[in-house]
Amino acid sequence: MKKFLLVLGLLAVVGLAAVSAAATTYKVASDTTWPPFEWQAGGGQLIGFDLDVMRLIAILEGYDVNIISYSWDIIFIDVGNGRVDIGASGATITAEREAVVDFSAPYWTSNQAVIVMADSDLNIASALSAGKKIGAQVGTTGAKWVQEQLIDKGVDVELVEYTLYPLAVLDLVNGNVDAVVQDEPASRASVAADARLSIVGVIETGEQFGFFVTNGDPNGLLPKINDGLQKLKASTAWADLITAYMGGAELTKIEAAWVAAAPFLAAKDVTGFAHALAAGATAP
Amino acid sequence: MTATEILWQNVRPLFDALPVTLEVLGLLLVVGLTLGTVLAFAQAYGRRPLRALCVGYEQLFRGIPPLVVILLFWNGITPALGVPVPGIVVAALALGMRSAAYQSQIFRGAIQAVPPGQMMAARSLGMSRIQAIRSVIVPQAFRLAIPPWANEYSSVVKDTAFICVIGGLIDLTRQALMKLAPLSMRRPIGTQLILPYLIILGLFYLALTYGGNGLLSLLERRLSIPGFEMKGKVER
Amino acid sequence: MPAERESRLGDVILRVEDLHKRYGKDEVLKGVTFELRRGETKVVIGPSGTGKSTLLRCINQLSVPDKGRVWLEDVEITHARTNINHVRAQIGFVFQDFNLFNHLNALQNVSIGLLKVRKMPKEAALARASEELARVGLAEKACSYPAELSGGQKQRVSIARALAMDPKLILFDEPTSALDPELIGEVLEVMIQLARGGMTMIVVSHEMGFARAVADRIIFMEGGGILEEGTPAELFTCPRCERTGQFLRKITELYGETDGQ
Repeated sequence: MKKFLLVLGLLAVVGLAAVSAAATTYKVASDTTWPPFEWQAGGGQLIGFDLDVMRLIAILEGYDVNIISYSWDIIFIDVGNGRVDIGASGATITAEREAVVDFSAPYWTSNQAVIVMADSDLNIASALSAGKKIGAQVGTTGAKWVQEQLIDKGVDVELVEYTLYPLAVLDLVNGNVDAVVQDEPASRASVAADARLSIVGVIETGEQFGFFVTNGDPNGLLPKINDGLQKLKASTAWADLITAYMGGAELTKIEAAWVAAAPFLAAKDVTGFAHALAAGATAP
Repeated sequence: MTATEILWQNVRPLFDALPVTLEVLGLLLVVGLTLGTVLAFAQAYGRRPLRALCVGYEQLFRGIPPLVVILLFWNGITPALGVPVPGIVVAALALGMRSAAYQSQIFRGAIQAVPPGQMMAARSLGMSRIQAIRSVIVPQAFRLAIPPWANEYSSVVKDTAFICVIGGLIDLTRQALMKLAPLSMRRPIGTQLILPYLIILGLFYLALTYGGNGLLSLLERRLSIPGFEMKGKVER
Repeated sequence: MPAERESRLGDVILRVEDLHKRYGKDEVLKGVTFELRRGETKVVIGPSGTGKSTLLRCINQLSVPDKGRVWLEDVEITHARTNINHVRAQIGFVFQDFNLFNHLNALQNVSIGLLKVRKMPKEAALARASEELARVGLAEKACSYPAELSGGQKQRVSIARALAMDPKLILFDEPTSALDPELIGEVLEVMIQLARGGMTMIVVSHEMGFARAVADRIIFMEGGGILEEGTPAELFTCPRCERTGQFLRKITELYGETDGQ
């Protein structure tokens, strides 16, 4: 009997060792409706700046990620209650969100671009002046800026909020709003796709994006994410990722580049992947 | 690439997402049908406390919007059970339990629409109550229930669009929403394809609604008996 | 004639003793007692709202009486231990508004009792049902659904449905009251044949011609009780109660005498 228990114990120890040897997989929630930070490529892959930064951090820190498409409305709830482990969804670090989740070090500083119809003669000042209707995606920095910096300060503009950014742009095209305030990279992509649109200016909001984990960081993920982020920024990969996603390349081109670079990802070659991605996205 | 090609490229993923919508739809109908039938019989033939319980259930689930029921279930069930429940099951359970409240009303109404003399005649032949319900009441109530049930089917098809708030569940609506931004950033087309794309999404739901209704009216015709015609048709 | 009829009646098949039934404040039956003999046709007459239908329903317990007892042969129907389904299978019931099963055709209506209650094999049940349909003259309507039948045809199917069960007696609850006048005859004809063939029956009816021609005994009910019982000759010629006479004169004025022949 004692012998049997001993064998059982040994098996248990071996089993545990085997489990811990395999890399842990963490669930990463992302609202994949927001290029170029996160979106679903034509082939179904979930790609984007946030997601690749998270993938490369995971490689550097020796864990695996499983990216799950999430509705923005419940990302904070489900990361907060631990149903998913990490949020990577272009989330601005704010005090109220800190109450529900814990943020990593910032990885991106967001500026807001103001889009108007090219034939409208509006400049950045007149586009945001009294009497104007301004569209923005609900819960984004753009909407928050219009509320806090204009409406709360007594500027008589009307903020029209949309569940999705492209619907705000569509309403601008349809003449229902006078301007749309949105993160610069997405705005540049929209303007590049439609000659009737133009960016009249960029507001330096200086708000910072962070990854976030369950309150109290029960899995001890934040040190790894921060460490990995630091390593990534110190490598050539960081500039390559920015070139690839923020360089104004058309989304389909980035998607093709991503597919071509994917083998580097599988081989856990961080700089190789980022280099291939940037090269593909900027190729003539 | 032409606009049509781009549109088609973005429609293909909708076909990939269709099974998710269909699975939730199928599961929720099974949940709603089973629970709805039980509730209907409990209300038509049960004792007063049981009936009151059923009425309470109906009022609860009919009074809460589908989106809120889904969010309540998604955030309530897994923590309550202590085990992770797949999103598809949560969605089907939430919408199914909601639909049960409506379906039980349909079935109860159909049971009560069978004239009381039918039960009396069955009992006068020596049938037990259960036999009478099974051989006389149910076959008649079932036929009466098909048209209003088709209505409920159309309504739950559209309810499935709300499951897009559940993490990881990519149904028709969620898939379409995910495609809007990339679609609107195609050069030089911009936002022009958003409207046609949303129309195509609508067509998917129309196909589900009318396809299902078509099957149901086929069933109704196969089971049709003189005297059980749908309202609005001329009686012989 | 009465004496001749008396002679063919057998032993007592049904005994009703002091039946009481109230619906809320209304006492509908106030102690009804009578006997029915094998082969007898008893017609129950009386003003409406006087408890005639309730009496029939209390006999086979479709309504449960508040007080009183009913025996079918030596089985007390009203006893708590009696299997009421078993008793009902032996007592046919023909309703005023037919109550045919709307989802079944005529043949299925007649055979369902044989299949579900008697557990007869399908072939045998359908054969028996066809016979009964033929007996009421509706062999060619076997596949028609109730909605496709006239009132008179429906009532004949419902009589066939009762007959198929080989009942010891049949209770008729105003079987012709819901019918258009021109359809009454065909139903009465079937009932007369049954009565002449020796079927035991209680018939609640306003058809005085039928009562006079076929009834062995007539019960006159009023106000929840039996006012008078006797042979047709006794009631129609020299009723013991003044009320019976009044009622009979009035009803004959109103409905005339249809005897279905």
